[in-house]
Amino acid sequence: MPICEVKNVTKTYGEGVAQVHAVNDVSLVIDNGEFTAFVGPSGSGKTTLLNQIGCLDRPTGGQVLIDGVSTDNLGDKALSVLRADKIGFIFQSFNLIPVLTALENVELALQLSGTGGGREKAAKLLADVGLAGMEDRRPNQLSGGQQQRVAVARALVKEPSLIIADEPTANLDSESGENALQLMKDLNERLGVTFLFSTHDQLVMDHAKRIVVLKDGKVVEDKVGAGAATGAV
Amino acid sequence: MFLFRLALKNLLRSKRRTLLASAAVVVGIFYLVVGQAFIGGFEESIIRGATDATLGHVALQPKDYPDEPLTFPLDELLAPDEATLSWLNEQKAWTSRLNFQVTLVHEGESLRAQGIAFDPATDSKVFSRATWTSDGEEPKTAADGIFVGHMLAKNLELEKGQSVVLQVRTEAGAINAMPVPVAGILSSGNPMLDAMAIFLTKDLAKELVRTEGVNAINVLLSDRDDVDEAVAELAPIAETAGMDIITWVEETAELLALQQLRRTMLNVLVGMLLLMSSMAIANTILMAAHERVREIGTLRAMGLSRRGVLGLFLAEGSLMGAVAGLAGAAPGAFIAWKYSIEPIDFGKLMEDQAQAGAAISFSSFVYTEFSVPIVVVPLVISFFVALVASIYPAITASAMEPADAVRAE
Repeated sequence: MPICEVKNVTKTYGEGVAQVHAVNDVSLVIDNGEFTAFVGPSGSGKTTLLNQIGCLDRPTGGQVLIDGVSTDNLGDKALSVLRADKIGFIFQSFNLIPVLTALENVELALQLSGTGGGREKAAKLLADVGLAGMEDRRPNQLSGGQQQRVAVARALVKEPSLIIADEPTANLDSESGENALQLMKDLNERLGVTFLFSTHDQLVMDHAKRIVVLKDGKVVEDKVGAGAATGAV
Repeated sequence: MFLFRLALKNLLRSKRRTLLASAAVVVGIFYLVVGQAFIGGFEESIIRGATDATLGHVALQPKDYPDEPLTFPLDELLAPDEATLSWLNEQKAWTSRLNFQVTLVHEGESLRAQGIAFDPATDSKVFSRATWTSDGEEPKTAADGIFVGHMLAKNLELEKGQSVVLQVRTEAGAINAMPVPVAGILSSGNPMLDAMAIFLTKDLAKELVRTEGVNAINVLLSDRDDVDEAVAELAPIAETAGMDIITWVEETAELLALQQLRRTMLNVLVGMLLLMSSMAIANTILMAAHERVREIGTLRAMGLSRRGVLGLFLAEGSLMGAVAGLAGAAPGAFIAWKYSIEPIDFGKLMEDQAQAGAAISFSSFVYTEFSVPIVVVPLVISFFVALVASIYPAITASAMEPADAVRAE
């Protein structure tokens, strides 16, 4: 069963002559365990499409299904619960809460999703991503790579069906980026967690098992399997 | 609970800003607690000035008796009948006094004063001696002489053990004068008595004023708030006996009305302070909302609902109000408590007015009012002011679109 289905999704901004189709009639099926990258030039609609899939935004037309559940008619509370339970996010700027420690940031995801495990589970996840002993550090006491690892642990701790990573390596140096990507790939292969990326990073494209190329809000190419990155934008 | 913890941490991230926004709440709540405690204390001292020193809870006096200071005509004295005595004996305590005008002459100086002739056996059952301090003993017999208010004694340069001549008009209207010893100098805690009164036994008054009559019957009820019921019972009896009834409620009405005015002014002042502080809190929370757009987006992406964001910001505002309220109420409560057990003596401040003849009949020993509502009500007010002030910023924060907020710079 696919984790996510995108059916003829359109996202339009503005009206009349100023109208822009950020996503234009896109249909996709994302299966469990995929490690998929959305690529394309700036303005191609990668982030907008991820917003629709991540239920951060509502499409103007079409339908998004998460785990077989249509998100069309869900209210704010139901969408919030869906995000809390099934979707983890990793952002380009890490988006950690600055007043919370690394451990508290990870624990926060558990609190919001109502998942059990608490502090011990959060600490174990931090250890899994190589941050044992850094639990009590605030984000400003961590390097960019370490912050992104906390963000990965935070996204993963509630055991979501889908993790959406928006340009996760863009703010990291090449070594940290490589490490973070390796970590995510390892989690994908070991735990079967589904990852969806938007990226310009060739490194991410090299590791992706599937690449969806977007241009002007439309899918222009959808390549699956080894060597998917060949010819990607 | 985690939202509450997060709210607390958010408040602490800009400590100086939080402190500045809370300052007006702290000051306002402090003023409110201390102000209410002192106004309540003054009200109580006004009431005690009447009940403990000059009136009791209910008093009977001759019909249409004048109430000008130092005017105590003796042409109509009280003659309580059987019914009156029967009612009086059912009360907690009662006594009677003869108030009369007297001139004290000492070493060529003379001063007019109020003579208060009392019954040593019953007077202290109605009129408290709790605030009395004296140099010398309270007179028990005619031979003991008189107790002189300390300001009056000072003006006449009178000391304990000296002799002073009392000059009066007798009940029949004749002038009488006699030297009496000063049994003691009294500080009663009531500026009017200390500046204008002498106390002597009825036995001595009988020799001086030539009457056994009285012009005041003073009654102590079991509960001072039962005054209406007492008046209802007493009115027909007093009417028949040709007496007027005065109660502590009527006697203190004017001064208490003034206190009520002060209370209103205090409330207006504190209200303005809290209004200012509510704007400061609203501004602080609104700034926080605009500074933390990306955090709000992140929380929304992680599954916090709009209502959750609303709750987070309301929690921040109300927490700020509650903590600031506590910071203002705690020292205020301490002051209110401290002076509720050890009074402040305003006697010195009132001496000038009392000596100028102002009828300041209230206890100069002011105990502040210390009660749970005096502290808790301002705390609840500060909490709700901050909560209401946070509503608009909280709505602004909760209305942010997560897709935009999560990538805000």
